[in-house]
Amino acid sequence: MAALRYIADAEDDVRAVALDGLTLLYHAPSGTTHIVASPAPEILAALSEKPADIAELLARLATHFDFEDDAAAEAIGARLVELEAAGLVRRA
Amino acid sequence: MSGPDDSKAAGDGFVASRRTVLALGAIAASTVVTVRPALAQTAGSVMACQIPVPGPQAAGSYIAQDGSAVAAGTPGAAPPLSRPLTGEEAKVLLRGSTPPGVDPGAAQAYANYIRRLQAGMSGFTCYASLQMPR
Repeated sequence: MAALRYIADAEDDVRAVALDGLTLLYHAPSGTTHIVASPAPEILAALSEKPADIAELLARLATHFDFEDDAAAEAIGARLVELEAAGLVRRA
Repeated sequence: MSGPDDSKAAGDGFVASRRTVLALGAIAASTVVTVRPALAQTAGSVMACQIPVPGPQAAGSYIAQDGSAVAAGTPGAAPPLSRPLTGEEAKVLLRGSTPPGVDPGAAQAYANYIRRLQAGMSGFTCYASLQMPR
């Protein structure tokens, strides 16, 4: 079975404002505002207009970041479910 | 001024000290809070949100009368809309009317497509916003 692939909208569609450790996102296509914490902004940037499954997403993030979590794939999967429910990522 | 930098290998283009640790969070923890439109936004911005018909995941597909995405050219199905619907236009469609620029014969198919939107599909958050009491 193929792994689920996710994609985020173009960065031009999402206005981001850093806010004391959190990030405010205004998602223009849905007209909705979200308050997100790391690693959500990093995931959205890595998926912007570039679909990936969890393994590819981890590989992209690993070019910029180290991970402290042993269960990185499970944690990333949980973050993607949240971002999908919020409408910030969708299945590619 | 330059300090000692014995650890950096010559010719290494990467600056290791700039790498940061990305905490991915506990599996059960939440990193997203959505500000509900009724609290944070004017009606105007909700009405201006967009619903592509169909969404990018089904780009080019036609829309059957039941709202499902079907192969382009399927008899009886409506062609994709050339531009996304606004929230206001979607609301008109869901009331059973036809907004300007939409083929009245296809309005029901488009309305059913909107009703079938699910979390994660482009336009869902806009549709969900339309349903919220204010």
